Amino acid sequence: MNLLRTIKSCSLRTKFVLPVSAMLILSSLVISGYLTKRQADSIRQELRASGETMIRIIAKNAESGVLFESKYELDELLAILSRFDAVTYGAIINKEGTVLSRFGYWDEKATKVKRFLPHVEPTDGLCQEFFIESSSGEEFIEMNYPILSRKEKLTRENLGLTGGLEGSVTHEKVTEEIGSIKLILSLAKVNESIAEARDTATLLMLVVLVLAIVILTFFVRVVTKPIKMLVEVTDQVSHGDLNQRVDIKQHDEIGHLANTFNKMIESLKQSRDEIEEYNRTLEERIVARTRELEQAQEQLIQSEKMGAIGQLAAGVAHELNNPLGGILGYAQFTLEKMKKSLPDKITSKDIDKYIRYLTDIETQVRRCKSIVQNLLRFSRASHIAEFEEIDVNKVIEDTITFVEHQLHMNQIELRVALDPNLPPIQGNAGQLQQVFTNLIINAMHASAAESEIKIISRYSPPMGEFDGAVELWFIDQGIGIAPENIKKVFEPFFTTKEVGKGTGLGLSVSYGIIKSHGGEIRVDSTVDERTTFTVILPVQKPSQKPDNRNEKLPGELSRSSNV
Amino acid sequence: MNDPNKKSILIVDDEEIIRNFLSEVLGEKYDVSLASDGDEAIEQIKKRRFDLIITDLKMPRVPGEEVVKFAQQQDPTSRVIVISGFSSLYMVSQSINNGACAFLSKPFSIKELMETVTDAVNG
Repeated sequence: MNLLRTIKSCSLRTKFVLPVSAMLILSSLVISGYLTKRQADSIRQELRASGETMIRIIAKNAESGVLFESKYELDELLAILSRFDAVTYGAIINKEGTVLSRFGYWDEKATKVKRFLPHVEPTDGLCQEFFIESSSGEEFIEMNYPILSRKEKLTRENLGLTGGLEGSVTHEKVTEEIGSIKLILSLAKVNESIAEARDTATLLMLVVLVLAIVILTFFVRVVTKPIKMLVEVTDQVSHGDLNQRVDIKQHDEIGHLANTFNKMIESLKQSRDEIEEYNRTLEERIVARTRELEQAQEQLIQSEKMGAIGQLAAGVAHELNNPLGGILGYAQFTLEKMKKSLPDKITSKDIDKYIRYLTDIETQVRRCKSIVQNLLRFSRASHIAEFEEIDVNKVIEDTITFVEHQLHMNQIELRVALDPNLPPIQGNAGQLQQVFTNLIINAMHASAAESEIKIISRYSPPMGEFDGAVELWFIDQGIGIAPENIKKVFEPFFTTKEVGKGTGLGLSVSYGIIKSHGGEIRVDSTVDERTTFTVILPVQKPSQKPDNRNEKLPGELSRSSNV
Repeated sequence: MNDPNKKSILIVDDEEIIRNFLSEVLGEKYDVSLASDGDEAIEQIKKRRFDLIITDLKMPRVPGEEVVKFAQQQDPTSRVIVISGFSSLYMVSQSINNGACAFLSKPFSIKELMETVTDAVNG
């Protein structure tokens, strides 16, 4: 497993060179070993064949020398052996075992190993051969060959002593072993040449091997170099550098791969450029769209305000016309009285009356002024709502003067408990008034006659990192909000009111306004029992003014209503 | 207070200043009764007959429309003037349909008031 892992982690070049070299070496070894062995065998066999030939010739010609025991003739015969380097010893031995003639020297006792060797084909079957290893380690081949005498056997028939066919004398040949020849051939020379051949083969093998490995390495380089380059470029490309190109001008598969790869990078770059371009314009588009949305939101807030004003118009008109009616009436009444009565007839009682009328007029004018101011504050264009130090209780009271008439009309009792110790907050009175109007009108729409709406304010003093807050509750005893709707009440255009009665924007705009004040608005409701809207407005240190430009419609915002 | 020679007028309005002003202006010539809402008015109408009823429309609990209707039920010949701070053609026509004989839109002048009241009482 480890070896496999090591091989897998090797470089491509190693993976090529190593096994191919191993195979080369192995095949060279096998081939050269086989060839060397073949050559050695053939050299040895050649030696034995020539030895056999030699011994046969001597045997054929030794017949008379042995028969006559002519040492001279036999010495002459063995002298041939001097022409062969390999012959160490030669001897002609008669039937009785006496050496008749010898050539060279041989010590029988030095024999350490003697092994019979089979014949070398073709053979006459007469030659016996042995492998001999001397005690000194030299190798020899021993050959023994019989010397045969072929004399004609004279039989009676041969001699014509018995009747038979006339003139036919048969010569029967008789073969008789009259001695033997022993030949010792040294393998030293042969082994030397075999070793020489082996060395030459080994050398040749090495040269071929080295050449093969060099060529292999070169070719592997030719193959791996472009692959390495491909890998490098791939690496750079993977790191985002799409300007890199593979510079391989080959017309093979790798060249094709490089071309394809370059084309791929090219199209990749093109796609990336397109995406970047798209992204860039996307940002622009988002900015434009956001601007449009902001404008739309601004318009929504404005139109919601207009809607709220529309809803209030009846109340406002009534509110104004009542004191105006009083003012006009009393002014005219006083005028008429004064015109009719003569100056000297005006009694102190009359003056008291006029004073009362004028005081009433004054009071009613102030009331009108307050209503108009309130209305102005409420409807003041507020593209950029200015934040200033405001008294939330005062804003609530101003709001109430608007709506109390309507509440009165609907026979809804308003109970207000305002905390006199409320600190001022940074905010926009007009915007907050819009929120409070909304909450009260909503409460009123949800409430039946003779029910009650409570408005409570409370100061939550600073604690730790918390800088303190003004908390407001708007509690009604109305129909409540169904659980499935409670999450949606701050969503734009969500309304359960009948068509034309509500825009579905009031609470969503209120949500945005409270958020822009850095505050929170929550709703908690029990169906047919009560609904509580909680508004929390933070008390900021003078340096921390909330960024009131980032008003957002709450469609996507996390709804902090504690439902 | 109950001068039999004077015509009786019931003034119904939830606004104190309007009630006070009307009673001041009309009190010299007429026998004036006051009611601050529809309920009170209906109670008074049940008790006695008025020559003229002047009623506001928008009032808590029982609105002016109910007063007009009730007065017509009690006595179809009863005269009612409707006054309102918020007038629309619809409200005027509704009031007339309900049996009112005239409609005054706040703020109104004393002249307007006196003419309308005189017309109504004598008409």
